Amino acid sequence: MVGTPVLLIAIPLLAAFVIPLVGMIWKELVRIIPGLVLAYMMVLSVTLLHYVSVHGTIVETIAGWSPPWGINLVFSPLTGLLASIMTILGFLVWMYSYRFKRNVDFEPAKKYFIFLMMLVASAVGMVITGDIFNMFVFIEIMGISAYTLTAFYTGRNSAEAAFKYLMMGGLASSLLLIAIAIIYSQLGTLNMADIASKISTMNPGYKITALVFFITAIGIEAEMFPLNGWAPDAYSEAPGPVGAAFAGITVKAGIYVIIRIVFTLFDVPGAYDFLLVIGLITLIVAETTALRQERLKRMLAYSSIGQMGLVVVAFGIGTVEGAYAALFLMLNHAIIKPLLFFSGSYLVFNSKEKRICEVNGLGKYMPFTSVLFALGAFAIVGLPPFAGFWSKLSVLTAAANEGLLLIISLILIVSVIEIVYYFRVVNRIFFLKYDKSTSVVPHRPRFNAVITMVTLAILILVIGFYPDAVTGLLHNASQDLMNTPEYIQNVLHGGQSLIR
Amino acid sequence: MKKFLVLLILAVLGYYMYDALYGIGIGIPRFTDGVKDFYLDKTVSQLHVANTVTSIVVNFRGFDTLGEVTVLFLAVTALGSILYKKRHDVGTRSILFSSSSIVRSGSKLLFPAIVLLGAYVFIHGHLTPGGGFQGGTIIATGFLLMLLAYENFKVSHTVLSFVESFAGILFVVIGLFGFMNGGTFLQNFLPEGALNNLFSGGVIGIIYVMVGFKVATELTGLIYTILHEKD
Repeated sequence: MVGTPVLLIAIPLLAAFVIPLVGMIWKELVRIIPGLVLAYMMVLSVTLLHYVSVHGTIVETIAGWSPPWGINLVFSPLTGLLASIMTILGFLVWMYSYRFKRNVDFEPAKKYFIFLMMLVASAVGMVITGDIFNMFVFIEIMGISAYTLTAFYTGRNSAEAAFKYLMMGGLASSLLLIAIAIIYSQLGTLNMADIASKISTMNPGYKITALVFFITAIGIEAEMFPLNGWAPDAYSEAPGPVGAAFAGITVKAGIYVIIRIVFTLFDVPGAYDFLLVIGLITLIVAETTALRQERLKRMLAYSSIGQMGLVVVAFGIGTVEGAYAALFLMLNHAIIKPLLFFSGSYLVFNSKEKRICEVNGLGKYMPFTSVLFALGAFAIVGLPPFAGFWSKLSVLTAAANEGLLLIISLILIVSVIEIVYYFRVVNRIFFLKYDKSTSVVPHRPRFNAVITMVTLAILILVIGFYPDAVTGLLHNASQDLMNTPEYIQNVLHGGQSLIR
Repeated sequence: MKKFLVLLILAVLGYYMYDALYGIGIGIPRFTDGVKDFYLDKTVSQLHVANTVTSIVVNFRGFDTLGEVTVLFLAVTALGSILYKKRHDVGTRSILFSSSSIVRSGSKLLFPAIVLLGAYVFIHGHLTPGGGFQGGTIIATGFLLMLLAYENFKVSHTVLSFVESFAGILFVVIGLFGFMNGGTFLQNFLPEGALNNLFSGGVIGIIYVMVGFKVATELTGLIYTILHEKD
């Protein structure tokens, strides 16, 4: 074995402390070391995911105290799948931004790479931890990294965006802490499996209060309507690759926490319907707002919120099929939206305002980037040969099996809106005339950015033409999510113990 | 209308929060079937640590402490990154009036005592109340006093970040050493020693000393960065 799940957290933390020291010796090391760490995390999580799908869930204890006394990490088919998606994407974001501020300014570059690495590590930590307070600590680490990355360009707008995010995030943290305190006061434990096994003994009034606080707090991180006011600003003011990392990594961690709390921790039946309704509202509001956006990155941000709404709708269906569809959507969104962010930020690279109307006719001058952007747009709206088609189809079948016809029709109507605003951009890129006075000056992507974007495009095509490559993993993960008794059994009564 | 709705939501929220927090009954021993007894028992019998709070913070929930230390580290780094301006490094401090000689000689006298107290608190973290976070904060207040009293008091940023990084690295490396002898991350691998001795509790004391160094240097760096911010 290459390691145990705890190394997914310990090694990035070690590297975060090492980077300021090695930066004094050779400045290039502050770029190389995060890459090596992210590559190691990627290899480790994929290897462990393979191990888990053969041998069953790994439960790792920390400091030698078995659950519920100590903190434990749970690396199951579900958490392993999400951790693998996050680490792979983290590595790609690192590769895309390798030359960030190179030869320009050393201090900001050093901090950028530390925060990027911690963003990935904390998101992985949120997913694999089995302890609710430990999850809170990781949410804090992720929050601080995300606020700093948003404020990275120390300008007026980015300061405003970061401040908004900071206020919302601070509110989320305090609500989360109150919810954890209520649970601890009633059940005397912080271990998630232990809480899940004792939750039925809890006073229903306190249970609902804690659940409401949890969902409000995590809803801020997961961009649920109406708590997502920070998201469009943060996405559009942060550096380009960070927008991709937000869409692909942090939001996924937030969604995971919501579903873990609703599906495993609490046994409140109405929560599924609540997810369904709130997801639908998020979907419709975000997609119609995206239609009206004039700036490219804001449009992508609203589209990202809408996709998260769709994911929550799919989870809210409440069946194994729904969970499967939601996980498939999360996987596809994690590879398609970064491609759109990467290629989109190159399309408007030389523009100050980053307006959509400035991309007119760029297809002629930046054919490669334009084609990749179009591929991403086709994939995210769900056109057949690409990856997005299969996930949208599985959402619709899952809803159809439950007879939720209203939801199917709403999803289809929203898909039409999605097609309109994405094709509007693609139309401008390829079919309008390039005009020197209004369009942006083309900017060739760097070599490392090209490799990153091509990798993502290949992934989209592979999943599109051969979805069986991932469906097995997704089926395992969705069954793992729905099977709460097995989760409790694994954590509290042995299961697959630590591997050597 | 909008204000009324907001008030209504706040009132509902407030009621349920009051209800839940009232029901907790703070101070009533209700955690009997929870994890409390296990902690109280194992702290003395297995870890040989006199201070249960320390054993929970550093050992039972040591992973959380590692996370909290990282939160502090990232917050200080974030502040440096947001206040960063090209070729800043040492800006000049704006001073309205210089401190009197009483303040200056008084703080010179107090400074070693404050540092000593801070060091005492974090070295004895596993024996007496207090520990790394508290001791580190006390030391940082000593530096704050010196910075306020002397307008040309200098702290080397390089030394601060060296100490800070080494303390963090040692924390994680001690954690990784826990894998020795088939253990787990952060597990004790040193002899526990006798209860109430200075050298007891295995790695717990060492980790808390590291936390003390880290908190002290980070808070000092934080004060120094803010004091020297150019506008």
